[in-house]
Amino acid sequence: MRRLAIAVFVLACGRAWADDASADRAFRDAEARGSIDALEALGAERPATRWTDDAWSEAARLAERAGDFARARRDLEQAVATATDEALARRAKAELARLAAIAGASGEWAAVAAQHEQLVGRIAHGDPKPALRELEAIVDANPRYPRAALAMLAIGRGWERDGDAATARVWFERADRAATGAMRDQVGPEIARFLIRDGSLDDARRAIAEVHDRGVSDELEQSLARAEARRTLRWILWAILAAIVAAAVVTLRREAGSWRGVGRRLVRLPSEVWFYVPIALVLVGVAWTGNPIVARAVRAIAIIGTIVAWISGAMLAGVRPIAFRRAVLHAAVAAIAVLAATYLAIDRDRMIDLVVETWRSGPAAR
Amino acid sequence: MRPILFSLLCTAACVKGNPIDVGDFVGTGGKLELPECGYAVTTREGADAPKLGLEAYGENPAPRVVHLGLVGDPKTTIVAQWRTEDETTLATTIRYAKGADLAPSALTETKTGVVFGYQSGGGDGLQHVYHVHQAHLCGLDPGTTYSYQVGGSDPFTHLDHFSPVYTFHTAPDIAANPDAEVVFGFVGDSRGEYDIWSQLLDQIKMRSPDLILFSGDAVTLGITQPEWEDFFGRGESLFANVPMISAHGNHEANAINYYAQMALPGDQQNFGIDYGYAHITVANDTPEDPSAIAGAFHDLIQSDFAASANARWKIFMHHQPMWSASTRHGSNLMLQQLWQPLVDQFHIDLVLNGHDHDYEVTKPLVGQTTQATNATGTVYVVAGGAGAELYDNDMGFWTQYSEKTYNAAIIHVRRDQMTLSAFRQDGSAIGTGFDKTK
Repeated sequence: MRRLAIAVFVLACGRAWADDASADRAFRDAEARGSIDALEALGAERPATRWTDDAWSEAARLAERAGDFARARRDLEQAVATATDEALARRAKAELARLAAIAGASGEWAAVAAQHEQLVGRIAHGDPKPALRELEAIVDANPRYPRAALAMLAIGRGWERDGDAATARVWFERADRAATGAMRDQVGPEIARFLIRDGSLDDARRAIAEVHDRGVSDELEQSLARAEARRTLRWILWAILAAIVAAAVVTLRREAGSWRGVGRRLVRLPSEVWFYVPIALVLVGVAWTGNPIVARAVRAIAIIGTIVAWISGAMLAGVRPIAFRRAVLHAAVAAIAVLAATYLAIDRDRMIDLVVETWRSGPAAR
Repeated sequence: MRPILFSLLCTAACVKGNPIDVGDFVGTGGKLELPECGYAVTTREGADAPKLGLEAYGENPAPRVVHLGLVGDPKTTIVAQWRTEDETTLATTIRYAKGADLAPSALTETKTGVVFGYQSGGGDGLQHVYHVHQAHLCGLDPGTTYSYQVGGSDPFTHLDHFSPVYTFHTAPDIAANPDAEVVFGFVGDSRGEYDIWSQLLDQIKMRSPDLILFSGDAVTLGITQPEWEDFFGRGESLFANVPMISAHGNHEANAINYYAQMALPGDQQNFGIDYGYAHITVANDTPEDPSAIAGAFHDLIQSDFAASANARWKIFMHHQPMWSASTRHGSNLMLQQLWQPLVDQFHIDLVLNGHDHDYEVTKPLVGQTTQATNATGTVYVVAGGAGAELYDNDMGFWTQYSEKTYNAAIIHVRRDQMTLSAFRQDGSAIGTGFDKTK
């Protein structure tokens, strides 16, 4: 009797283990195929196995990835109903809540949300205009769409990326009007940041005043202060450069005696340029093999250096002997011109931030 | 010159809390053994020695910036960390019990934690001492939900100064639950714009992760405290419920603030943990001694890869990408030369990075060669867009996908499959991620 009981037990276990193994295999196959249909079919099979809830959960993930929010929702409901472990059930319930936020409590916005997501992806690549216009049409056609403000922000970002700041601004402002509740907390800072990037600093200040989150408005104030300081510095440096150019032209004219003389001096390539240009070309070439932002800045600095060397050489061409004070003054002015122009070159593309980062953290290992 | 540049380019922020003056603070570090956990809490230079919490209460002992970390086995241990509104409270108690969302009265287990101070700039140009409280829970049950709250109960005033009740889950035991799935949130480079950081964390939270993988650059300058308050404060609703492991980023600058506030395994720089079917190796690619990249750190990574060679799924996280087509930093060729051979040798499935503020996925790679499928190559993902100003993206021969966008990702790991799905700050899905089945 005891032997019989043991035999029955071993057979039963063997059967259970065999079932487990075949359920294992079936789930692994469905997973590898990545087919929603296969996973759903596996989930629907009875008796249920330990993989049933996983099959529904994976089917839901793939359905959402395919943009089919309604199907994802149905699969998640099945995952909750068949869940064998607490973690999966908890996660599936949270996913259901997330899908409801995207596609509406009863899935009423599923189709619009799917189009919205697909178009946001297209805006990020190549010519964004067709996708932007499609998304604009969707937003206009669905004024009650709960994520309309987010779509409008995406449109604004897209136009900004495309270089159309005016249209971008229109959409950011529309997003601001459309946003309600917690969404306002997202839209306000984004508009302020756009205005800072756009250089509309006075408007940015007004936008920051509308941001209620103290921490965020503090951060924005800092960004604005930095942008204002940099703008002021740019103006000062441009003014210095303009003054130096004007002084150089006047001095050159006085020493050359006529505009024709100025022309003659400039046409003759000063020896400084012969020395400088090959070095500059090597630097530009080397920089070009590395970081493109650095390469652009090096090219700009090389061009500025060439111009300064050229004008400087032309100014000194006919002056012999050169008085010490004059030489010192000349060198100082040339150095100021190069420094000012260098700052303006690295301020472009915000390379200044890279310089600050390198200053603080040291150079990136290469 | 530096101070002038800094004041021109940066603006100081004010600090939350009430830092105490440095006074006779001795920041030489120290060690406290936790026998029940089988490891020690070690503090570095810049922090004082860790000590058990005392019944000392300041003027406002309310806990804040509660966040979870991992030092030991995630199946059975967890670390709750917090700071208090004042900097003089030394009470460090955790109350906990099995179960989700329990009432405070149901938290029947109590344990005293560890507290230590560290010295840091406060953003006001002065040095201050800040305090971190840590409660190390060990001997927990795998795959189990716990509720907890931290703080202290003042025996003199009979007032409780506890946090709200939070919940955490220990890692599953895959031997007992072979169908257990684990979910990781993956995010990096939050520094600077913490409203975007908040939005991304909300999106991660909706996806119910078990663990957060942070690839570095939490703050702009690691040695000042104010940004850390933002980093942890804005993430509290997530970090108080889900543990985080972090890779050190170049902006952390090996500051004591980083090591004091991040409870991490081993030396906190190079370590590995098993979570579900995944083994995660983490490395610091901005060591104090840069030669360690080729020396000691290289060897530590190699040891961890070798020790976990039989892991089902292998993830390697560090900050600076070996492969990136961003126009800002791009590929770190030194790491490519020194660390990629290890990645190739040990067949790492997925490498996670930040540093470049965009989203990028490579084709599967072995050495400099792209592979037809990820069965034979490693995929490198850059997800460095958690708030810091975005960088322009580009395409290299290795690039599968790149996009200039704020982003984060979710990684699902089951026995036979690992997937990574990325999303933007508004929650919209980024089509290209990572899927691998074994």
